Amino acid sequence: MDAIVPGGFMMVNEQVAVVLTVNGDRFELMVEADWILADVLREKLGLTGTKMMCGEGACGSCTVLIDGEPVPSCLTLAVECQGKDILTIEGLADPVTGELHPLQKAFVERSGMQCGVCTAGVILTAKALLDENSNPTEDEVREALAGNLCRCGNYKRITECVMVAAEMMRGGVRNA
Amino acid sequence: MPEEFSVLGKSLPRNDALEKVTGQAKHVADIALPGMLYAKFLRSPHAHAKIVKIDTTRAEALSGVRGALTHMNVPKVHPKRKFEYLLDETVHYAGEEVAVVAAETKEIAEEALTLIEVKYEELPAVFDAEEAMKPGAPLVHPEYGTNLFHGTSEQPVPRCGSDGWLRLEDGDVDKGFAEADYILEGIYETPMQHNCSPMPRSVVCQWNGDKLTCWADTQNPMYAWQDLAKCLGKPQSSVRLIVDYPVGCYGGKEPEKIAVLVALLAKKTGRPVKAVFTREEDFIATHHRTNYKAYEKIGVKKDGTISAMSHRMITNAGRDCTRFWRVPACSAAHTCGHLYRWQNFKWEGCQVMTNIPDHNSFNGFGDSEAGFCVERLVDEAAEKIGMDPVEFRLKNCARPGDRAINMDTVMVGSATSHDRSLEAMKGPIEWGVFGTDYQLEECLRRAAEKAHWKEKWKGWHTPMEVNGAKRRGIGIAIGTHITAYRRYAATVKMNHDGTANVLSSATEMGQGCSTAMAQVVAEALGLHYDDVSIQFADTAATPAGFGNVGSGGTSSAITAAKYAADDARQQLFAIAAAMLRADSEDLASADRRIYVKGQSERGVSIAEVCFRAYQITGTAVNPPPETIVDEKTGKQIYDHAGAVTIAEVEVDTETGQLDVLRITTAHDCGRAINPIIVENQIDLSVTQGNGWVRSEEYIVDESTGVVINPNLLDYKIMTILDMPKHGDLYEIVVESPCAWGPFGAKGMSETAITTQAPAIANAIYNAIGVRVKGAHLTPEKILEALAK
Repeated sequence: MDAIVPGGFMMVNEQVAVVLTVNGDRFELMVEADWILADVLREKLGLTGTKMMCGEGACGSCTVLIDGEPVPSCLTLAVECQGKDILTIEGLADPVTGELHPLQKAFVERSGMQCGVCTAGVILTAKALLDENSNPTEDEVREALAGNLCRCGNYKRITECVMVAAEMMRGGVRNA
Repeated sequence: MPEEFSVLGKSLPRNDALEKVTGQAKHVADIALPGMLYAKFLRSPHAHAKIVKIDTTRAEALSGVRGALTHMNVPKVHPKRKFEYLLDETVHYAGEEVAVVAAETKEIAEEALTLIEVKYEELPAVFDAEEAMKPGAPLVHPEYGTNLFHGTSEQPVPRCGSDGWLRLEDGDVDKGFAEADYILEGIYETPMQHNCSPMPRSVVCQWNGDKLTCWADTQNPMYAWQDLAKCLGKPQSSVRLIVDYPVGCYGGKEPEKIAVLVALLAKKTGRPVKAVFTREEDFIATHHRTNYKAYEKIGVKKDGTISAMSHRMITNAGRDCTRFWRVPACSAAHTCGHLYRWQNFKWEGCQVMTNIPDHNSFNGFGDSEAGFCVERLVDEAAEKIGMDPVEFRLKNCARPGDRAINMDTVMVGSATSHDRSLEAMKGPIEWGVFGTDYQLEECLRRAAEKAHWKEKWKGWHTPMEVNGAKRRGIGIAIGTHITAYRRYAATVKMNHDGTANVLSSATEMGQGCSTAMAQVVAEALGLHYDDVSIQFADTAATPAGFGNVGSGGTSSAITAAKYAADDARQQLFAIAAAMLRADSEDLASADRRIYVKGQSERGVSIAEVCFRAYQITGTAVNPPPETIVDEKTGKQIYDHAGAVTIAEVEVDTETGQLDVLRITTAHDCGRAINPIIVENQIDLSVTQGNGWVRSEEYIVDESTGVVINPNLLDYKIMTILDMPKHGDLYEIVVESPCAWGPFGAKGMSETAITTQAPAIANAIYNAIGVRVKGAHLTPEKILEALAK
């Protein structure tokens, strides 16, 4: 933090080597020991699809899947993710064909977003639910999304999109 | 709808949906430029203090710090306000910026803030509006001589008296009350609410020689840009403001002085500089809805006629007077002026400055506050004469042809000063009328039908259902708000392949303006929806427009785009007419072709016409509002929407727990350009209206003026579980084309926020038999009302 070479180039110490698998790609990185995963994704890997709304785990917008589990990336240190498999919104569509995941398709077709800041966290949280439970009730969808705040108040349409996506997935549409 | 449309009126996918579901939508906070520095702000811990010493020497000596600004080394200017400078030697609220540092990393910038030495001399402060009005109260701006804002030479409020009160009176109020069979009175309060945008304020500035590029997250690009140029002393042509994907603004998002300070730091350091507020900073140093107190009186006759109304309001503006008079002006003109057909009304209001953070517009501003007061007392009036509350509102609510005004009639705002002279503003109020688009009556009928009002209404303070301590009740409220139709410009640039780019200084902040604009322009030109690409605010390219304010996106921005598309179509037709040896009057366009009406095979592709013409560019500026007149009476048609909400609630009388089980909201919109987006916009207002009174409490400490819950754990916005389930939330979209908008469409959404709180409050009364008159409808307040 204190070793700055004149001319603006900066050498930062207290860095730790970490290996992360993000969206299927393996990254060997040197990261600051106190950096949260969200900052590493956004600032070191340029994956700005992970949005930060509150920075303290209260809103769900920065949710990513770590080994399939939805986790707020603002409350997770990057060094904790050593060797783990991380999925962000950028990695949800088919990496080869670019085909959207059924959740993404449903959110596009039925306008499941307004400003779009909560969208990545909502879709990834819903993916974790649908991977566990392919035929959820409305109450189960609401419970799963209880920690995802949408300031645009789009909860009704979000519920609808998750139910539609679940139906698409059960109907044999590509199951990611 | 009688007309046949190919693109309009369809729930097409949003044109920003793909970017948003794949994480490609880039916000200002996502921008990273080579060599970029990070700015952090030092804020005052005191609500009112003089800075007697400020020293950044140690901070600037920290390795990695590249520059610092304090009031000592910035120009003494401010984008808008009379009494505030970029950085001031006096701070007026706890959280005001006192210094800003740019450094190689956020962490270094934060550490540098701890090394800035500041010595404050505390000054007396005042936080409550009514306290601030008393003689001898501390003055927020001593040089102004009063805490009651009544205008300045730069920002006049011509109708306002020098005592700080604005008074409007119409008809004979004394006579109206004398003729009343009953007079009802109430004192009501409505709470503050923070806009709480999902993305805190963010700005990036980069200089290229003497030219500045600024990326800012705002809903008012043109004003932000003009203010920036003015403060920097640069011509507008040398300052470029770009607004991509601004995020959920809800009325209050402007970069204001932050953009100027970041631009100055970028100039000073010779590097690009980025500033992104933390959530805490967003809470303490941006804007919120004011709190509002009203002394309300209604006279009613036994036959259900409201014979008189008076409304005396006081609102706490905080340290700021930039948003001068918007809240009182909407209260006076809309909810108190013309929501009902009361011919005798008196309105008095004042806006008081205190040492709390700034206020600004929040969805439905003025009408949400006034509506929450008026609609609670109107309900009591209906009860007093024993009339069904739906019937009472049907009898009294305003209809097309009834008199109407708008906020601009009451105040002079920056957006209207182009159109109206100050002298004209001092004269008597000139009433205009509602157009046939104003469908409050139809909203009432359809909401009552959809909510099964007749079956569910069991009479006054009679629960629909009782289960032990739990009681269910139903309630209704109506509301009105502006859908700002104002001057606005747009350009439609045709391309050689027959596609079109629309240039507009509007913004896409989530409301769907970009999608709706593309649908309208495609329809007007005869193109496919995805042939039209929208370029929003980039001041180097997009023409004048006031951004998206007061539900003006559809009413103003898309109206301009429609006129510009019409202009382009006329040019296309003129060339096609020569190519087809036909009269341009006989041409039509559809499916990317221009053809002779009735002979669809005799045509030419739009691409070919564009190529032949080399360049076709349509431009337009909306006609001024006063030219939108009723043919019969010659009176101006005003730009409003109406909404109605019916709420069903369950109250636990032991715990005060409130569950909102079902909400039905009807909203007129002229014409739904994209019905699914219209419904989403209604849901936005429904949810924020619920949060306003049910869970969101913006708490300012009474003794220090410090915001004590500046985070999303303690400031609670509605979650999915707080809102009714999918099948219990109804949106009713009432269509009846307006006189000014594109294909008759007008702005919508905000009006639905004005009806939520009073509908829920009135439902609570019918459930438990006690009226809650305070600001919040929380379990504590409900228990207080039950005196438990």
